Amino acid sequence: MTVKQPVGDGRIVFENVSKFYGEVLGVNRVSLSVLPGITGLVGPNGSGKTTLMNLTAGLLRPTRGRISVLGMSADRPEELFRHVGYSTQYDAFPPGLTGYQFIESFLRVHGFAAKEAEAMTWKAIERVGLTEAAGRKVAGYSKGMRQRIKLAQAISHQPSVLILDEPLNGLDPMARAEVIALFRELADGGLHVLVSSHILHEVDLISDQVVLINGGYVIAEGDISGVRDEMEEEHPVQVLIRCDRPSLLASRVFEQDHVVEARLDDDGKGLLVRTRDADSFHLLLNEVVLANGLTIEGVAPADSDVNAVYQYLIGSNGEKS
Amino acid sequence: MSDIVSAAAPARSGLPWALWKAQLLAVLRLELRKGFRRPWGLVLLALAPIFILVLRLLIPRAVDDPSDIAEATTFFAGVYQAFSLRIVIFLACVAVFGNLIRREVLDRSLHYYFLSPMRRELLVVGKYLTGLIVTFVLFGLATVGAFFLAYLPHESTAVQRFLFQGPGLGHLGAYLLVTFLACVGYGAVFLAFGFFFKSPALPALAFFGWEGIHFLLPPLLKKFSVIHYLQSLCPVPLDEGPIAMLSDAPSPWVAIPGVIVMAAVLIALSAWKIRTMEVSYEEE
Repeated sequence: MTVKQPVGDGRIVFENVSKFYGEVLGVNRVSLSVLPGITGLVGPNGSGKTTLMNLTAGLLRPTRGRISVLGMSADRPEELFRHVGYSTQYDAFPPGLTGYQFIESFLRVHGFAAKEAEAMTWKAIERVGLTEAAGRKVAGYSKGMRQRIKLAQAISHQPSVLILDEPLNGLDPMARAEVIALFRELADGGLHVLVSSHILHEVDLISDQVVLINGGYVIAEGDISGVRDEMEEEHPVQVLIRCDRPSLLASRVFEQDHVVEARLDDDGKGLLVRTRDADSFHLLLNEVVLANGLTIEGVAPADSDVNAVYQYLIGSNGEKS
Repeated sequence: MSDIVSAAAPARSGLPWALWKAQLLAVLRLELRKGFRRPWGLVLLALAPIFILVLRLLIPRAVDDPSDIAEATTFFAGVYQAFSLRIVIFLACVAVFGNLIRREVLDRSLHYYFLSPMRRELLVVGKYLTGLIVTFVLFGLATVGAFFLAYLPHESTAVQRFLFQGPGLGHLGAYLLVTFLACVGYGAVFLAFGFFFKSPALPALAFFGWEGIHFLLPPLLKKFSVIHYLQSLCPVPLDEGPIAMLSDAPSPWVAIPGVIVMAAVLIALSAWKIRTMEVSYEEE
């Protein structure tokens, strides 16, 4: 695996970016700085994820603010798109082309010579596992194959920034696992991989950091545990402990100010604790275990995934809390 | 990226001409591959004047005097100027150039070009050249075919004399030049319509009307129609009837550069428009 050298300032930067479609809000006052690795853009349908991605790639122009991708602007596509690949959500292709022709033709548009374009095309097609179908017309591909050929086209010129709008839609579980592994490999190679999804657990699995967006506003950003920590006061962290004497543990944790609730599991072998200070709780847990010889089967956060964080942030009615 | 770097190396002028040429050729290749695979509608349109001339061959006594070459010359001039130029080539240019960008927006595939490291102006030029090649090849061939069909019912010796010792080949060359300039001019107009109007059909219809009443326009307004310049280059003038407003035909030195400059201005406007164009298919 080759590691990409950083281009420009090595970041994707949004400075107070707004986009309005006439009177309709696309995104509003977005300020972000995206570092290399996989960044998950999370939000329900219509929240502004695609608008944000299209703004990044220059398919849309911001009404206000400025966007810089590795120090480059979308005003100079001839420079920007040497470093950016974008697999959009549009399930559409130029008519009449085979998978191979689709990728090779646009590599030629990049300016690559015939032989080099051919080699790069095959490499990209192999990476997404479509070698056997490369000679067939894209129009005859399944939804999953179309997703993969779009991904191949986006990575074919070896970009430093990869933008992927709902890239896992239509993929079967096996293909999902393969594609996620590919994202990981690309990110480990130094790429910025910006992935959007409305399926929260999917993003949780693959992202190094997340941007939570709702109603056109960025409501949180960062690594998901960091975002969760910042919410401890308003939304105490839930920890599930499976052990042999949960009642003993419950009596000890109740003495602590930061513990809001402790509830025994119905089977009598588990304890659900809600605490405003997860670090102190874990220290206490260690002390109790050592002092009383508790046997711990497992300790797991019960609401620290992106799904829970998102629910806390937007509330049940989709409003920012 | 070795090849691309060498191609992108700036020439002495400081501009990457080699890269631009490679990208232009790639756009041409891709456009021809995806946009004109089965142009049956265009082929039928191109065959329409030929159909009229074949009918003339088939109808008994449609030709009064087979030794009278002037009759064929006048007949072809009428078919070419009244039908081929004003209707067939005009409609073909609406269909081809008006859809170069529009069709990709409706197909939701324009973004693939916009996500390529290419100046968008080059895309406009590449698409325009593709349209020009397709329309000129098709309607140039149709013009040549129709021209020879017009003379087919006439005596071969008279036809040979007209072609090789008379003005025949010069006429054919002039008609080909007019066909080319019609594709250049109308092509640029409808390319621009594709950028400036959501549905280019209505302005195209209005423009068709304008070109159609050209013979009624006062001399000053005639200068703002494409047909005024194209018609002046046709080797045989067409009688436009008793109500036509007469005016001096522009010389070829005005007509040819006039059409080319107008096309260049419209292409430049389209190129300016595409630089700030957004892709939001949802609004279509």
